[in-house]
Parts: sequence; structure tokens; C-alpha cells
Amino acid sequence: MFGRKRKIKTSDPLVRKLMDIVGESEVLFEKEDLVAYECDGYTMYKGMPRAVVFVHDTQEVSDVVKCLNEAEVPYIARGAGTGLSGGATPLGGEVIISLVRMKRMLHLDLENRKAVVEPGYINLKLTQSISDKGYYYAPDPSSQYACTIGGNVAENSGGAHCLKYGVTTNHILGLEVVLPSGEIVDIGVEGVPDLPGYDLLGLLTGSEGTLGIVTKVTVKVLKNPEGKKTVLAYYDDIDDASQAVSDIIAAGIIPAALEMMDQVAIEGVESAAYPVGHPRDIAAFLLIEVDGIEAGIDDQIEEILTVCKQNNVREVKVAKDEAERALWWANRKMGFGAMGAISPDYLVQDGVIPRTRLPEVLAEIREISRKYNLRIANIFHAGDGNLHPLILYDASVPGESERASKAGSECLKVCADVGGSITGEHGVGIEKSAEMRFIFTDEELEAQTNIREVFNPQDLLNPGKLFPQPGRCVEVKRANQDEVQLV
Amino acid sequence: MNVGEKERETVNLVSMLENKGPACETKTLGNYLWDDLPDPDKWADCVHCGMCLEACPTYQETGEEQHSPRGRVYLIKAVAEGKIDINEAFAKPVFDCLDCRACETACPADVQVGGLIEEARGQIRQAMPLTGVKGVVSKTVLNGIFPNKKRLDRLGGFMRFYQKSGLQKVARKTGVLNVMPSHMKEMEAILPEVGKPVLGRYPEEVPAEGESKGKVGMLTGCVMDVMFSDVNEATIRVLNHNGYDVGLPKQQGCCGALHIHAGDRETGKELAKKNIEAFKDYDKVLVNAAGCGCALQEYDELFRNDPEMLPLAEEFSAKVEDVSKFLYDNDFKRPESEINTKITYHDACHLAHGQGVRFEPRQLLKEIPGVEMVDLPDADRCCGSAGIYNLTHPEMAGKLLDRKIDDIPENVEMISMGNPGCMLQIAMGVEKHGRSEKVVHTVQLLDWAYEKDKQQVKS
Ligand SMILES: Cc1cc2nc3c(=O)[nH]c(=O)nc-3n(C[C@H](O)[C@H](O)[C@H](O)COP(=O)(O)OP(=O)(O)OC[C@H]3O[C@@H](n4cnc5c(N)ncnc54)[C@H](O)[C@@H]3O)c2cc1C
Ligand code: SF4
Ligand code: SF4
Repeated sequence: MFGRKRKIKTSDPLVRKLMDIVGESEVLFEKEDLVAYECDGYTMYKGMPRAVVFVHDTQEVSDVVKCLNEAEVPYIARGAGTGLSGGATPLGGEVIISLVRMKRMLHLDLENRKAVVEPGYINLKLTQSISDKGYYYAPDPSSQYACTIGGNVAENSGGAHCLKYGVTTNHILGLEVVLPSGEIVDIGVEGVPDLPGYDLLGLLTGSEGTLGIVTKVTVKVLKNPEGKKTVLAYYDDIDDASQAVSDIIAAGIIPAALEMMDQVAIEGVESAAYPVGHPRDIAAFLLIEVDGIEAGIDDQIEEILTVCKQNNVREVKVAKDEAERALWWANRKMGFGAMGAISPDYLVQDGVIPRTRLPEVLAEIREISRKYNLRIANIFHAGDGNLHPLILYDASVPGESERASKAGSECLKVCADVGGSITGEHGVGIEKSAEMRFIFTDEELEAQTNIREVFNPQDLLNPGKLFPQPGRCVEVKRANQDEVQLV
Repeated sequence: MNVGEKERETVNLVSMLENKGPACETKTLGNYLWDDLPDPDKWADCVHCGMCLEACPTYQETGEEQHSPRGRVYLIKAVAEGKIDINEAFAKPVFDCLDCRACETACPADVQVGGLIEEARGQIRQAMPLTGVKGVVSKTVLNGIFPNKKRLDRLGGFMRFYQKSGLQKVARKTGVLNVMPSHMKEMEAILPEVGKPVLGRYPEEVPAEGESKGKVGMLTGCVMDVMFSDVNEATIRVLNHNGYDVGLPKQQGCCGALHIHAGDRETGKELAKKNIEAFKDYDKVLVNAAGCGCALQEYDELFRNDPEMLPLAEEFSAKVEDVSKFLYDNDFKRPESEINTKITYHDACHLAHGQGVRFEPRQLLKEIPGVEMVDLPDADRCCGSAGIYNLTHPEMAGKLLDRKIDDIPENVEMISMGNPGCMLQIAMGVEKHGRSEKVVHTVQLLDWAYEKDKQQVKS
């Protein structure tokens, strides 16, 4: 103790082999250490890994992958573990390859507006490191303080500002990937925006760590917008707020961000670390931001204020300075974590719906909340119809986890039924693999698993995720649900 | 292997607490079997979101989940759920925490990671008492010296002798120091010119200059009073100059922070009781050492499981305030004389993260005429001092210190802060990196400015 390394005592020959590749101190294998890797940001399912290996460069990743292939041991890539669908959670017995120590920026080329980073590079650090030069990296998931660019690529992450700027895939120029065979490949040619042939970049981005391990990422960086203004609008009726969202877009404005939070969510953020002083009795608020060239901004703001007022807004205001704007955003971006202040656990869902169906879907979610007797908070990207119902529950109350899980599934069903999707940005992972059936037929699913087989023929890389394959995942999930029912 | 193990199959903590031993004194919680159990409510707040990861210095350095706030909370909970035992592998991440509280600032759910870690350490120390060399060191340093004013003074006296007698020079020349571990050597190089402690030398009450605005109690601290008695002297002068009578009750003692951090909550409680008693006649207890201030403010936390002491502790904790915040909030006298110097300010963890005091000390400095403030990047990242962490974990502490010194802007003359541990640590870094910045306490600068004012009045 006291900072010194403990003696290595392991009887697992695989751990020994991995240590030969990466070094003794770079492999975790003791239960007390591994238990911290039982799950990611999604805490409903847990599984123990066999070991955690820290890799430092592409060659090591390749060597480790080859070693695991030979031993026929399944493995998972892991970034910061902030994923919300269990993508980095072991089903049990996998080796976790942690990419957090590959966190260098390798190259910055502002003239051509791009940067090359290792996969463990933290999302927000990228913007921080270039902001003084007038640039930023657009995809801004709320977890950007902690999540890695590699994880963002794997999940094709979005963020509040993706309404105008698009999600991760719109900002990736090239990838270096270690395939499950151990082969190192480059995808995308730097400087060439659209190559002939299949869009492999698009395929890899959002593949949830099932097709290869990303070891290098070339991203676009953007020039800071000239101006930026932010509006906060309080509503007594959630339907009015929803209508305002549709009307803003219909007016031809594309805000950089258009976010909504409902009453339960407001209770959470106001009880947590960054209270703004939102009235507790409103039904919802909208947080709207426009950016771009200075000249057009005030007109857009005027128009937004008008639309808000037409929709019976209680109060609407423009951030008076950067400090106020920053507080509003901190309050919003810390929203998920803030639920800890009002509930021991939460399950966040990630459905997408056509914007115009917002009022009816929110009403159905309220109905689900009543049916399962669980509170549901909504914090979401209203502008692109990406809902995040947060189902609040207490896992220490027998049966509540299971109810939460069912309520979550029903929320997704509602989204699928109105012509939407079961995930906007958090991925499918373990959590929603069964729900894939809500939107895909068996044939469609098979077509996709066929692609996976081409890349990942032995199914050792992140097995049991993403698809309701016959085999491990669904059964595991079902088995688990059965277990829960017994409690 | 636990295939997709489900969280709640384990234990229902609440009912477990209720079922076990309502009649007997000792309750247990999973594999926590000793008195003064950790608080399940604290980990219940954690939603495993990971927003704290990058704020944590030990995670930044290692990238290992169990060395992150989220990981530590998770492990502590896992012991309560009976998933893992209290053993060395569990103790390491829990003891490798710097107790810097950066995670608490970052956490959206206000999880009290620091308090939880201290509680877990209490359990570990009861489960696995320190033995061998470590036990001896811990006993002599923590229990033998810190709580014992006389011994600490004597140590100070010895150091004074060591410095004054020329022995220090001899030691440095002869290379006797080379046999010391390198971090001890670095420490030796920067030992401040030790003055004489304030407590005992000053009267129990030092009257205000001019008309009195009221009486405040002051914690003299142990390290502060021995190693930095000049800072204590400056603090008293500054408070007197601002119109306060300063009370220095003789019965006060060590705050107990180091013991609590080390898991020795029993000694911590004894010391706390002494201080609560010593300051019972004061409405305000001012502290110039952030670490001590934070500990005093958390006495209520320490007595969480002691219904008798709890109200007293709560009342006491509410009286405690950092001296910089007190001065700022009470419209401190603006100095008029110029101190022409460029300064940067380092946020002591236990001031910024522990007490939320960031703005006030900076403002005190800014309002001294002639002071030019230069921002320190990541000013609130731990310097590695963290109580006695730099003695117990020299490697991690050294890395953090190097980063801190690298961040210090090139052109400043002074580095100001509000904690003696940081002052020693950063002074060590300045020396080690061959730099020349002077390390000062925030109130010292104010004191110098006031002294200049007084001289000008005289002349
Ligand atoms: C509070 C909170 C807020 C969030 N807000 C948002 C949001 O606004 N928008 C959003 O889109 N998401 C959000 N998320 C989800 C999550 O942060 C993102 O999915 C993020 O991209 C995950 O990054 P990570 O580094 O934590 O990856 P991990 O969780 O470690 O991994 C996620 C998946 O990626 C795979 N993976 C990781 N690294 C690699 C690699 N190098 N190569 C191949 N596969 C890899 C893993 O196997 C896993 O399947 C939020 C999460 C939290 C906890
Ligand atoms: S107190 Fe500091 S070192 Fe400990 S977990 Fe929190 S941030 Fe990390
Ligand atoms: S301690 Fe706070 S920030 Fe860290 S994982 Fe838990 S809730 Fe999130």
C-alpha cells in the first residue's frame, strides 16, 4: 500500500502473456480492481472482465488483439466508460482493452482545419486546446468533460449543438483501425472528402466497437462562430413548448441548439450543483442558441422571441453575458448526473421521433410513468426530436430495476411506433439490443450481422452487443430479467 | 464469471442495517464490520456518470477506473454489498486518493466522495491495523507528534537549532543528505526559517488596533504555528488592524485532519472534542490553513454516528471560516501603499474544492495597490502536498508537483496561496526546478501592505 506496487500474483497464463506485451504494471487482474470495470454509464447490467489491459500505441493494440485471438478470448475496447447503453460493459470474462492512455494529439493543421488525435483524447480537451486560436470541435456530448473521441466515434455521439452542425460522423475525416484480425488499416484519405467506393468511414463510425478498434482519428475543426446568443423560455404547458419548437424550425431558423427540460428534470438540476433559479412550477423550458455571423443573429433572436410569445410563453429572456450563458449550459449539460440529487438511480432512454409528434409522445411517456409508478424526467434535444426520458428508480427496492427497464422499453416502443428510432446517440449496446426488433425485420438484422461477420468473423470483439443475435446477448438479457423477477 | 450480474441481487442495504443487531452496539454493513460505518446515502447519490473522472489527479495520471472518484465510490459500495473484501487491493485505491476534493466540485450530483473515502479508511484501519515500519512511522508522526503541541514545538526547536547552528550547511555540504530518500532531501532543502510558535507566546487575547469590532477565535494550527509562525503573526496583525480582537485559546490543538485522512477517526474525534471545547465561547473561528479549516468544518461529518456530540459539532462547524473569506465578507480595510509585484495564485484544494473559496483570496490580492495578478492555468489542480501525501506517496506527489511548477507563469515574482502544506510543497518544487519565485500566504501580502501604510503614517 501507500503508493507502492503490489506483488504480482496471478495464475492466469493469459494475464502473463498480456503483461509480456504491455508490461507488468499495465494489466489489472485482481477482483478488487476489476470490479470497477463491471459497467459503464449504464448501470443496469454488470459483468466482470477477466482482465484490463492498458495499451499505449497502435502496435500494442494489434499485438494484444492477436494474442487474444490466439487464445480465443473475447475482448472489448473501452474509452472513458461514460457510454449509456452498456457498450463497454462485459457480459463476463472478456478482456477490456483500455485506450485511455493513448491520449496524445498527434498533429494539428489549422490551415486545413483538421486535427489528428489518439482515441483516448478527451472530447472537451480538443476544443480547449485550440480555442485560443479561434477554433473548436463541434460535436459536444454533455459528457464531453470526460468522454473520449474514440468512444464518440464508436457511438457516433451527438450533442446539444448537433442540430445545426451534425453528429460525430459529419466531423470525421479519417480513422486508423486495428481489425479483429490484428491488421492495422487506414480508412479515409486525408484531405479527400469523399472517396469512391463504399463509405467505410460511415460504417465504422457508430459501429459501437464491434468492427474494429479505433487507434487514430482525424477530425475536422471549425472556426469559432463570430457571434452567439442564447435564449431561455419558460412554459406553463408542455404542449406550448413543443409547438414553439416546431414553429421555430418552420420559421426557417436553424438554431445551433434547441433543448428542452421538463418539470421533473428541473427539480433535479435545481437541487444539484449548478442551479440557475428556474421556477419550479413551470411545465418545461426551452434553451435555444443561435450562432453564426454577427449580422444575422439579432434578427433571428427577435424572431425566436416572437414565436415563443405566440405560444404562450410565461417568461423569455436572452442571456445577458457569457457568465449567464455558461451557467445555463452547465445546468443543462450536468442534467443527467443531477438526477443523482433526486433519485438513487436512473435509466436514460434515447428515442428519436419526428419533431411534430412531440406533444403526443410526451403525453404517452407521462402515461408510462403513471403505469409503472416511476417518475420520468425529460431532458432532450428537442430540435432534432431526440428524446431522453430519464426513468428514476431505486435499484435497492426489489423489482424496481425491472419496472424501470420495462418502462424504458415501452418508451422506445412509442418512439418506434410514431416512425422514429430507438436510439439517437447513445447506441444500442446491451441495453437496447432486443429493442432493435422494434425497427428492423429479421432480414434487415441478418444483413447487418453479415457485415459484422466480415470484420469480426470469430465474434471475439465486443460479442453480444448491438444485435439481438441468437446466442449470448438476448439470452443473457432475458436470463437477467428472469432473475430479477425472482427477487 | 458473473455473466451480466445484476446489481440488486446482492443486498438490500437498508433492511440489512435494520436486521443486524438492533440490541447490540456494533452494526455491520456487508463486509464493513467495524464501528462508525460508512454512509450508504453517500454512494446512493452516485449515478456512475463519470463527470468526475477528468477532474481527479490520480485518474489523470493513471487512467485506471479504480483510481478515479467514480471507481472509488463504486469499490466502497462493493464492499458494503459483499462483493469484495477489505484487503490490500481494496485499500490501495482508497488510500491513494489525495483527498483533494476536485471530484466534489465536478460532480453534478453533489456526491461527498471525500467524506466517503475517509469513512472507508476508518474501516480499513480497523480491519488492517498498520504494522511494521509503516505502523511505527504512522504512530510517531501522526499520534506522537501532530497532536502533541510540546513535541511539535520541540521538533520546531530542533529544526531552528539545525538551521541556525550551521549543521544544515554541514549536512548539505557533506552529502549526509544523499543517504536520505530523494523526496525527504527535497523537503529538507526548503524547510522554512522556523520561527517561534504563536500559541503560548502571545496572550490569549490580542486586542484590536483602535476601536474593536468584535472578537474572533483563531486556530493556530500545528504545522502552521511551528513552520510558519510568521504567517500566524501576520494573520493576527491583519485581523487586529481590521478591528478584531483575536482570541488564541490555549486548549486548542491539532485539527485532526491528518488522522482522519489516515483512517484514524478515533484520534480525530478526540482532537475534535478538544477544539470544540476550546472555542465554545467564540462565535467565529478563523483559520488560515485551508486543510485545517476544511477539517473543522467537517467535524459534524466526523460525529455522524454519535448523536450526543453531533449537535455540538454542527454548531462548531458552522462557526468556522477561512480568514480570507472572513476579511473579504467583512469589508476589509483597503491598503493604500503599493506593493509592486507580479503574483499568481494557487487554489489550495481544501480551500477551493473543500470550502468553495476561490474568489475572495484573489480579490484580497487584487485590491492591494500595485499587485499585478497573472492567471495560473488549472490553478485548482492539486500540487501533490495533500496533507502528508507527499511523504506517503512521493511518486504521485512528485508528478503533480512537476505539473504545477510547469504551469507557473514565467514572469511572476510570487506565488500566493492559503495553506501551509501547499506552501511547503510548492516551495520544494520551486527549489527543485531551479526557479526563484517566492512562496507566500495570501494574508502575508495584505500584512506587508498594511505595514507599509503604517510606516508611511509614521514618516
Ligand atoms: C452524463 C452523460 C451525458 C451524456 N451525454 C451524451 C450526449 O449528449 N450525446 C451523446 O451522444 N452521448 C452522451 N453520453 C453517452 C456517452 O458519453 C457517449 O456515448 C460517449 O461517446 C462515450 O465515450 P467513452 O469514451 O466514454 O466510451 P465508452 O463508454 O468507454 O465506450 C463506448 C463504446 O465505444 C466503444 N469504444 C470505445 N473506444 C473505442 C475505440 N477506440 N475503438 C472502438 N470502439 C471503442 C466501446 O467498446 C463501447 O462499445 C452521455 C453520457 C453521460 C454519462
Ligand atoms: S479527492 Fe481528489 S484524488 Fe480523491 S477521488 Fe476526488 S479528485 Fe480523486
Ligand atoms: S461521483 Fe458524481 S460525477 Fe462521479 S460518477 Fe458519481 S455522480 Fe458522477
